[in-house]
Amino acid sequence: MKLDTTNWSGEGTFTQTLIDALDAVEQVALLRVEDASSSRSDVEFNFISNELFLRFGTRDRQVRAKMLGIVPVTRTVTEPVMTVSELERALCEIDGVGPPDYADAGMLQYLRTERIVPPYQTRGYKLVELVRIYEVGSESRQAPDDV
Amino acid sequence: MVENERAGLAARVEGRASHRDRRWAGRTQRDFHHGLLGHGARGAVAAVLVVAIGLLCVMLLLPLTASTSAAVREITLITRDMAFYLEGESEPNPTIQLRAGEEVRFTVLNRDPGLTHNLAVEAWGLETRYLKTEASTTVLVRAPARPGRQVYVCVPHEKMMRGIIEVVEDD
Repeated sequence: MKLDTTNWSGEGTFTQTLIDALDAVEQVALLRVEDASSSRSDVEFNFISNELFLRFGTRDRQVRAKMLGIVPVTRTVTEPVMTVSELERALCEIDGVGPPDYADAGMLQYLRTERIVPPYQTRGYKLVELVRIYEVGSESRQAPDDV
Repeated sequence: MVENERAGLAARVEGRASHRDRRWAGRTQRDFHHGLLGHGARGAVAAVLVVAIGLLCVMLLLPLTASTSAAVREITLITRDMAFYLEGESEPNPTIQLRAGEEVRFTVLNRDPGLTHNLAVEAWGLETRYLKTEASTTVLVRAPARPGRQVYVCVPHEKMMRGIIEVVEDD
């Protein structure tokens, strides 16, 4: 798997768990990890949002068709070896990952929260990690006018 | 002989035609008297009247509705990535400035996949229903008459989704 983390700060332990898990899935050919612009922190929380863009490996398949509905021809179709829903099932079985909190045809979303209480403090803060896995080339769900 | 036959044929044709005309004339007259055409005409007149009255009402009420909608300020809040955003802007949980006494229609649209959000302003006793992804709701509120600052939150995520509504003096 080709891994690109140049646009990732490295924050997010669950994100690293996911990267390791995806590295074990041989159908994933490319993985790019990026910090999402929505990451932010305050006194009471630290919100880490990361986005993982992946591309599955491909295979060629011969498809029989009829040109103009008459002449039989054979065409070569290139298709991905895995779908997002198949990846979801594969990740479900990996320890430390489990099922996503949300999934659709082009995206898997994981939300992890925990309270962090540093030494000598009583209240601490809430750590929220939101990780979204997109298949490269799938339709973006952000409207163009939204940032 | 031939002329007599022709005259007789002509008379028969004329007789048929005149008989047909009489039948037609009789039917239309009968229909008219029996109210078939009368019902249609009355219906058409009534329909025209209804349409005319409807148009008149619309013309009279249109300026009124236009002036009402102009008085209400529209604010669309989009929930995304565990934060509120004003439509078309990129600042999370922005400070929303209202004029004292101003009437505002808040539209909340949830664009966070798989997450449920709402909008609440405790100081105003305002809380919308919980919205699933791509659901929206609208609430009409009037800002307090006195300036001040209130907190708006999403109840299930109030630590992260929290901003300020600032009410300022009306100029």
